[in-house]
Amino acid sequence: MKTKRSALVLLFGCLLLSGLMTATATAKEPWEKIKIPALNAFQMPAYERVELPNGMVLYLAEDHTLPLIELSATIRVGSLYDPADKLGLASMTGSVLRTGGAGERTGDDIDALVESRGLVVESYAGTGTGGAYVSCLDEDLDLGLALLADMLMRPRFAEDKIELAKQEQKASISRRNDETMSIAMREAPKALYGADHPLARYPEYDTVAAVTRDDMVAFHADYYGPDRTYLVAIGDFDTAAMKARIAQAFADWAPARKPLPADPEVPWHGRTVNVASKDGLTQAIVLLGHRGIRNDHPDYAALSVAAEILGGGFNSRLFKEIRSNQGLAYAVGAAPGTGWRFPGMFMAYTMTKNETVEEAAKGILAEIDRMLREPVSAAELQFAKDLILNSEVFDYDSKREVMDRLVTLEMYGYQPDFLQAYQAAVKALTPADILAAVQAAWKPEDLTFMVVGTPSEFDGDLSTFGTVNQIDITIPAPTPQLVIPAATPESLARGMELMKNLRDQTGGKAYAGIKSLHEVSEMTVQSPMGPLAITLDSTVQLPDRLRMVTKLPFGEQVMVVKGNQGWAKGMGQSQDLDAAQAQELLAQFTSDTKFLLGRLQDHEFQALEPMEIAGKTCNPVAFRKGDETTIYFLDAENGLLVMTQEPAVNQMTGSPVTQKAYVKAYGELGGIKLPVAVTITQDDEDFAEVVVKTFERNPTVDAALFEK
Amino acid sequence: MSQILQRLVPATVLLALVCAVAATAQTVDLESQVQEFTLDNGMRFLVLEDHSVPVFSFRTVVRVGSANEVRGITGLSHVLEHMAFKGTSVIGTKNIKKEREAMAREDAAFAALKAERNKGVNADPEKLAALEEAFTAAKDVAREFVVSNQYGEIVEQNGGVGMNASTWTDYTQYFYSMPSNRLELWAYLEGSRMQDIVLREFYTEKDGPVTEERRMRVDNSPMGKLFMEQYQNLAFEANGYHHSTIGYMSDLNNISRADGRAYYDKHYIGPNITVAVVGDVDFAQVKAYAEKYFEGVPGGEPEEMETFEPDQLGEKRLVMKQDAQPLLLVGYKIEGINHPDWPVYQAIADILGQGRTSRLYTRAVKQDQKAVQCAAFPGFPGVLYRNSLLVLGIPAKDVTAAELEDVVLDEIDRLVEGGATAEELAGVKRRAKANFVRGLEGNDGLASQLAMTQAMTGDWRNVFREVDKMDAVTLEDIQRVAKTIFTETNRTVAMSEKQAS
Repeated sequence: MKTKRSALVLLFGCLLLSGLMTATATAKEPWEKIKIPALNAFQMPAYERVELPNGMVLYLAEDHTLPLIELSATIRVGSLYDPADKLGLASMTGSVLRTGGAGERTGDDIDALVESRGLVVESYAGTGTGGAYVSCLDEDLDLGLALLADMLMRPRFAEDKIELAKQEQKASISRRNDETMSIAMREAPKALYGADHPLARYPEYDTVAAVTRDDMVAFHADYYGPDRTYLVAIGDFDTAAMKARIAQAFADWAPARKPLPADPEVPWHGRTVNVASKDGLTQAIVLLGHRGIRNDHPDYAALSVAAEILGGGFNSRLFKEIRSNQGLAYAVGAAPGTGWRFPGMFMAYTMTKNETVEEAAKGILAEIDRMLREPVSAAELQFAKDLILNSEVFDYDSKREVMDRLVTLEMYGYQPDFLQAYQAAVKALTPADILAAVQAAWKPEDLTFMVVGTPSEFDGDLSTFGTVNQIDITIPAPTPQLVIPAATPESLARGMELMKNLRDQTGGKAYAGIKSLHEVSEMTVQSPMGPLAITLDSTVQLPDRLRMVTKLPFGEQVMVVKGNQGWAKGMGQSQDLDAAQAQELLAQFTSDTKFLLGRLQDHEFQALEPMEIAGKTCNPVAFRKGDETTIYFLDAENGLLVMTQEPAVNQMTGSPVTQKAYVKAYGELGGIKLPVAVTITQDDEDFAEVVVKTFERNPTVDAALFEK
Repeated sequence: MSQILQRLVPATVLLALVCAVAATAQTVDLESQVQEFTLDNGMRFLVLEDHSVPVFSFRTVVRVGSANEVRGITGLSHVLEHMAFKGTSVIGTKNIKKEREAMAREDAAFAALKAERNKGVNADPEKLAALEEAFTAAKDVAREFVVSNQYGEIVEQNGGVGMNASTWTDYTQYFYSMPSNRLELWAYLEGSRMQDIVLREFYTEKDGPVTEERRMRVDNSPMGKLFMEQYQNLAFEANGYHHSTIGYMSDLNNISRADGRAYYDKHYIGPNITVAVVGDVDFAQVKAYAEKYFEGVPGGEPEEMETFEPDQLGEKRLVMKQDAQPLLLVGYKIEGINHPDWPVYQAIADILGQGRTSRLYTRAVKQDQKAVQCAAFPGFPGVLYRNSLLVLGIPAKDVTAAELEDVVLDEIDRLVEGGATAEELAGVKRRAKANFVRGLEGNDGLASQLAMTQAMTGDWRNVFREVDKMDAVTLEDIQRVAKTIFTETNRTVAMSEKQAS
């Protein structure tokens, strides 16, 4: 399938006419008397669009001025498709296509080729698109095409270059709070669309660390393919021959394994007022925004012009008012919030000293309100039209720019003459059109605030705009990777020493004397239905008696074990346990740390390398039960338990998880220094809060408790 | 075959071209197409015609920058750059006569306020408040006569794009692109701001946007603070590179309109100004318009610089503490762009720290993974006078600037002791050719190269000589210069280490 377009001649004379007419109508100033002759006609570059049998779309434009060829592939792949726990995957895959080598060549081979042959070879992946680029002499076309095809079809993903890409990602994460503008631009989409929205996510240390070579290989196979690739070729070639060579180079490329995912919805959000504070700043960033529109919105032209009038260039209202008249800022402006693929973010922003944050925000809101209250003046509109229409020639002064625009238009479903239609729409706009468009699209009451600065210096607490949320921009520390090497006599001796110390610090001989325990805890569990309050009342009598009462908001359940027998009863049902079930339930209680500390000598404990947990340096100790390992993280300073990590099963999903119990508070109960407040996470997601209400050591136990 | 299309081919592709012997014959001799003339006032014009697209770009380079500033007026070159967008006696005013009177009253109010304010702790708070109020009132009156931002509006309304300006240590430059039927309008606009500037909104601008720009670029930017202020303060004590182009806050507060006027009159003179125009223009027409619209720029003698940076006699070192990830700057004093060793400095910087195959990248980034970026370049913070060959290192996560410094110094020692290899030098020469072509990309790139080279070296033809000069560099030159500049006493190290605020 192919379509061939004849060169389209764009005449600028008509535009010029409108300019001349306004000039002659009011010509009195010296600069208005200067004659402006007709602009020379300008031709849209000729090109051909071809779709290969495998679905790859080519845009070819010959240019014989120099013996050079430029090949630029755009693929519909990007961080939109990153799994939540592997953010950074697309970006690193995109760069390692090139740095990690491809086909027969290593990345260093490609570096050397670039040096010796004067090639340019690059690859990348952004949020919504990725790409690869080669430029070469026409005599090197075979090599250039081979490199491009290798990168896209046969990347090697060398481990050392993956590691280098990870280093870069980690360094950039560590530096992301250094410049205030990057904080604002990162946090604003989170505030607008939610932190988990694919357009608002950013890699973290853990998500980068989690990416493996296998992930990259799979990501490449899943999302790279000819069915979603657009290749622009510009340069010294014959179109027919070039088509054939490209078709041959990419003939074996299989379609991507996964269908192109649907684009995420971009939600509308009402106003939130968000402040990210950073100490020691003398200048704050104030950004106000809400969801904008896609470029196929019927008011695209009107809203673009409106944003130009509000906060475009020198003539804009924000520039004049906030910068020139009030002197509050150097940087001030507005963006229309348009986008080819997704609605953009309509926004107005400024950078001003802390002491004028509220004043500047109010100034911006006042200008937005004025745009909604009254039509723009005829002069303002004419100015904006002139600005857009008189600079039209710059839309066509680069072949590359024109071809790239055609690809964008096709990828996102626009007509090739979109720009011409836009120019025509701009020309026809009236002040009433603009007013109607902004009244429909701009909702100042919904503008979300993102302010980055030093709030103690602000001229107000911003509460006049709404309830203020403090945004925590602390960079989550990487979760330390736990390594359990083979045990040595030294590590086992050290492990035992640490556990004995824990015992002696918290109860000493009290543990060994435990015959029975009674404990009441209150838990708040995160469930799919929301937080769930549960009370657990358990009584254990060694060696083989257990009674556990679970109180839920909607009823109560009792489980009892007595030797090899057991039963459960609750919510109108009753069931007997078999011997195995009974013993397993009992074991869950008797293997508890409190019992363990009473008989340390029966077990082995292995000391591991110290690591940081919850801000404390800890000595981890591994305790193996069968093929499962529990790790106790003991505070290096006082020897107390900071966290316990063990494998568990999520009660809701039934899937295996890593459960961590962080000790929040200790209390003296029943002669033991005991964790009385504990936060439990599963796979690092909050799971439950536990508070111990009652703890009795060796209480008198009524034997009737264990009877049916 | 149109030259502009050649130039529009991305420069990266042209790299290939210059590397290919077969292709060199096809490059067009741009040098012979550059036409020039000088007005009676000493102002130089460079013109390169290309009619393939009906647009043109220009670059006006004025040989004045922060290196020309003395204590008390630091930041003034940059303030004037802002003022060049405020209009003229015709553009931007409702009534120039009344406006000038209002500005005179504004100046008097400022002088009174400044005198009281500079008494410091002895200032009378009540008097200060009254003077502040009077000054604000005077500013408000003057503003009544201003047509805000009219100059920029005219450019934008006529399809001008990329309008901006920048100020640096050695120069102030102005630029944008326009549809080519606006050539005369452009000449009128540009000519008038080179001779008929009105310093309107002077105080509002410097106390507002200029001060906010300082906050943005320096005070609140970890990189800007280290680079543009701390390093310059430390490395340069005598010459004009000792302060940042943005200026000290106290000077910004104290500069008066009279200071601005005197500075403009002194430096905005014909011999200090070069204009390059590239695109769909006719040389004769450019010349005619220049004679019509630029002749009024006064002539005169450029200022002679008299204070030069003496030799450094010991290592200088600064460890800056701020709440940001670490950064490393290692600098060595070198001579200016017109010194015969300049191409050798460039070669050394290239071998050390430009591109994926450079020594610092290979060692610090790829091999030791101590940095995510490690680059070297000559000419900081300027090229005209004694300046620095600077290594900039961005440490990898959990690596301190000091650790990275060890690696950098080790690589520099290796170069001093072992010199460069023939292969490395050949690579440098190839890249020099590529960079030469890269700089010629597009109307704007060409205009910039021509005007800047003229302003900095006194001859735009040096644009086309750089490759030859680089070709003449030998391995012996590299060893000789490396041994001379890379000494401990000639070194300035400024690093930033993290300290939570």
